[in-house]
Amino acid sequence: MSSSASQQSPTPSPPAPLPLRAIRFRRPRRSLAIPPLRGLLPLILLLVVWQLLSHGQSAYYPRPSLWWEGIEREWQSGELKPAIEATLQSLVLALAISTVLGSLLGILIGRSRPADRALGPFLEFCRFLPAAAVVPIAVLAVGYTERMKVFVVVFAAIWPILLQVRSTVRNQSPLLLDVARSLHLSRLRILWQVMLPSLVPSIMLGLRVAAPIALVVVLLVEIVTQVPGLGSLISTAQRTFDAATAYGMLAIVGVIGIALNALLAALEGWLLRYRPDGS
Amino acid sequence: MPFNVSGILFLIALLGVWQLAMSAGIFTSTFLPEPREIGSSIVDLTESGEMTSNLWHTVYVTLIGWALAGLIGLAIGLLVGLSLEAWRYSMASLEFFRALPGIAFVPVAVLLFGFSVKMELIVVTYVSVWPVLVNAVHGVRQVTPLHNDVARMMGMGRLARIRRFVIPTMAPFVAVGLQISLALSLALALVAEMVGNPTGVGQALIVAQNTLHPEEMFAYVVVIGLVGVLLNWGFLKLLDHGFPGTMASERQPL
Repeated sequence: MSSSASQQSPTPSPPAPLPLRAIRFRRPRRSLAIPPLRGLLPLILLLVVWQLLSHGQSAYYPRPSLWWEGIEREWQSGELKPAIEATLQSLVLALAISTVLGSLLGILIGRSRPADRALGPFLEFCRFLPAAAVVPIAVLAVGYTERMKVFVVVFAAIWPILLQVRSTVRNQSPLLLDVARSLHLSRLRILWQVMLPSLVPSIMLGLRVAAPIALVVVLLVEIVTQVPGLGSLISTAQRTFDAATAYGMLAIVGVIGIALNALLAALEGWLLRYRPDGS
Repeated sequence: MPFNVSGILFLIALLGVWQLAMSAGIFTSTFLPEPREIGSSIVDLTESGEMTSNLWHTVYVTLIGWALAGLIGLAIGLLVGLSLEAWRYSMASLEFFRALPGIAFVPVAVLLFGFSVKMELIVVTYVSVWPVLVNAVHGVRQVTPLHNDVARMMGMGRLARIRRFVIPTMAPFVAVGLQISLALSLALALVAEMVGNPTGVGQALIVAQNTLHPEEMFAYVVVIGLVGVLLNWGFLKLLDHGFPGTMASERQPL
């Protein structure tokens, strides 16, 4: 208690050295930002226990080694490769459309206060409309096609990007545009050289939220409508009570999800490499 | 809360243009019904009791699944966030599970649990857990070292520290997680009803699609969209009551 008493006096005497056990060295925070790989241990343990405990041909919980056989079967039947391609193609196409369209609409809506207010409730309604509810409408309107799939996915994935860009544009410092105007930049150059760079962080943030949603909705459409893709393979496996294949497809989907996440994180890091804080 | 007049007017204008274009014959389509038909379909479905019972089932499953997910996510999140060792030895696994698209589990869940409410609840809960869990972990870890030092200096116990520092720090993060989960819960309940448990709005949508009743389909879509907005609004209201100011940036005139 002697150290706290000395701090209360108006002219503090030089602080007494703290007792050694009170000094705690803190690690730099950065090392705590990324979870270490040993955190995968529970997952590995789960799979190993599963493999060891599951006996024979369990109908519901086939052991992981059987998943692999399920994947191989699908591969040899020649259905897996086109399914993966179809899913990835829809995913990439829909994300590209969502990014471009979402950013443009976000800029347009965010720029104008009256438009922003007038469109607010409509956007709110669309944002909370579950993608699953849109599927039947899209099927009736477009049919069971690849285009329908992309349409539904864009409808679900565009909102995070659009809303993020809109709110950033709305809160943008007017100084930014004043500078551009006083330099007599053309509208196109303002969009390309001033607006867009200032929006890259928001677009990337929106895209990173949108990407998992897009993957989910691609699978959703495939599961619900049986349009070709990984989702319909999972759904078929379920209908034929082929649990091993269903788990195998699930594993492939998981790998795609994680790869997508890592890819976007890398893209974001590269696009924003000029920022010192790396955030 | 000020009333957003221009927003309401825009919606009315949109419906008006749609109605006029269709009744004037400028734009006709077999799949797109007139707003008038959608409106009368909503009334019919409500009067026959279908709308109410389907909606009740879907909202019920959504809320129960969401509440379960919130509790589980919060509990695990607190545990993993508070203990550095637990975080080191589990976070990578949790991140892995979060990255798995939850929707892909629906067929597996149907296989395991059959066409039942149980399946629906499990799917909704499983998928909705992750946003809450990950945000809770992140939120707990935002407690600054200074606060921890203060707690230690004041001789606070573990519980007091959680109550005074951890919960207020994590509340905004958890709130965002819960908000995302609520929308997810509703979506997953619909999906589960479409492919698995044959009840509720999801099933009604599929039936309307298969029997070529676009006006019924649109009626359900409009109502479920409104329910989504309403749930979100209710959540924000509730949150504002319990933790004032947490989501101030989200507040918008209706």
